[in-house]
Amino acid sequence: MLRILLINDTPKKVGRLKSALIEAGFEVIDESGLTIDLPERVEAVRPDVVLIDTESPSRDVMEQVVLVSRDQPRPIVMFTDEHDPGVMRQAIQSGVSAYIVEGIHAERLQPILDVAMARFESDQALRAQLQARDAQLAERKRVELAKGLLMKMKNCNEEEAYTLMRRQAMSRQQKLAQVAEQIIAMHDMLGG
Amino acid sequence: MTQHDISRSDAPEKRVLNIGFMALTDAASIIVAATQGFAEKHGLTLNLQRQASWATLRDKLLSGELDAAHSLYGLIYGVQLGLGGAAATDMAVLMGLNQNGQSINLSPDLQHAGVSSGEALHARAHQSGARLTFAQTFPTGTHAMWLYYWLASQGIHPLEDVDSVVVPPPQMLAHLKARRIDGFCVGEPWSAQAVDEQLGCTLATSQSIWPDHPEKVLGCTRAFVQQHPNSARALIKAVLEASRFIDESEDNKCSTAQLISACDYVDAPLSAIQPRFLGRYQDGLGHAWLDAHPLRFHAKGVVNMPYLSDGIWFMTQFRRWGLLRDDPDYLTIAQQVQQLELYRQAAEALDIEVPAAMRSSLLLDGKTWDGSNPAAYARSFDLHALADAPASARLESR
Repeated sequence: MLRILLINDTPKKVGRLKSALIEAGFEVIDESGLTIDLPERVEAVRPDVVLIDTESPSRDVMEQVVLVSRDQPRPIVMFTDEHDPGVMRQAIQSGVSAYIVEGIHAERLQPILDVAMARFESDQALRAQLQARDAQLAERKRVELAKGLLMKMKNCNEEEAYTLMRRQAMSRQQKLAQVAEQIIAMHDMLGG
Repeated sequence: MTQHDISRSDAPEKRVLNIGFMALTDAASIIVAATQGFAEKHGLTLNLQRQASWATLRDKLLSGELDAAHSLYGLIYGVQLGLGGAAATDMAVLMGLNQNGQSINLSPDLQHAGVSSGEALHARAHQSGARLTFAQTFPTGTHAMWLYYWLASQGIHPLEDVDSVVVPPPQMLAHLKARRIDGFCVGEPWSAQAVDEQLGCTLATSQSIWPDHPEKVLGCTRAFVQQHPNSARALIKAVLEASRFIDESEDNKCSTAQLISACDYVDAPLSAIQPRFLGRYQDGLGHAWLDAHPLRFHAKGVVNMPYLSDGIWFMTQFRRWGLLRDDPDYLTIAQQVQQLELYRQAAEALDIEVPAAMRSSLLLDGKTWDGSNPAAYARSFDLHALADAPASARLESR
């Protein structure tokens, strides 16, 4: 029976994942302590598989575990399916990263990954929000327009106008395009 | 060929690029390039995607989910050489993003015990009793290399005299408070924030180890460059112009510090970012100074050149500390990773001077690094972890 160490240090809830893995017949140890203890826990638990949220900062600690274990009898390696690179991409997208003891066959891991990918709470909706649309052409025209208005208003050259707009945007933690819209709106209101 | 045709042949093959970064002050030039109209000028839209770990940033570069990223110099070379979780993959450094600006801090307990110098730390590290634990941020990363180099320069073997662990930057302060680490090497704003919160002191800056040292780079896979050379060149141009803008004036630096402190980017108080961004340091031991080699992003392109000697240096340190068991083909690998030709084209188009591919630096232990004889340089240190099999054993195993 494969022993799974489930690292639980992000807001994602792993409760359902844990019970689903146990139901599927795996031994699951769930770890939620301080990041710094992770190498010791891996050493003590001697898992066959380590599952961790792709968005966990502790993945960098697992890197250390991988490097340190490379000379040991049971080196731990990141799971990547050589025969199917799509598996890694799919796993990353569904938010699960897996480490295995070298030598475990990909087929034995597949059922674990299937459960993990299905049960890790998906944050796809959040991701979609972060994808800006390709608006660069339209935005660029608006920025040009605002720059021209500002050059007239401030009687300055092009570079000075850009710098003024950028400083304003950055100080307000905005994008240049947002400040451009504000300049255009103000100009319209003042009847320029 | 008409002007129009030339510009068309230069058009980015991919116009919307996903760009990864970590919540660190030195991601500034990428954030400014993406949000302040620099990318659009070169026909690109940059989707910024903050990452929670270097390992995930790397995996997304390799899977294609990210096109390019704010990367540790050593991370790119670690992947190139197959050190760590990912399989060895051909990587590319498009340009340098910044020099300087990382720090080595000690815990309040050490500070209160009077350990506030390299000599005192050396004495403490060699006392019997509890071993000291030092944290860095990634096994092959720059912080590990600065920490190891600095400790060794003080006569402390980083892998034998102390324990070296990885702690993610946002968790450094929590680990300090829990008294689980005695010191760390990290990027800003985390070191400044520890001093601000009276959680110990800054004992050394990374620029005191190597003035104007390489730090973060704009990294991607070699496959991305090969498939999208025009996008890669346009991206270099956009980030070069943003870098030039940041370094142009103190006002621009202040606005940049304000921008990056936002919750979408570094998500830290301006007070922890701005002083060291402007080179104003306090070490928590009563010293305050204006640093001669502060964090910088451009310096007329001196910062951005992907020097071969910088790339080779990280490989020599991997060798020194036993991460590499044999000497790699230092120069050839650096020539493949560092995208000199693409960088040259981008810089020349913006009238930015392109320096020589090797540079010479004097480090704090009195050693000069100029890119020559890397194998000899890697072996030239008193403290090391070179783990060669004896020549006879190697012959027998053939």
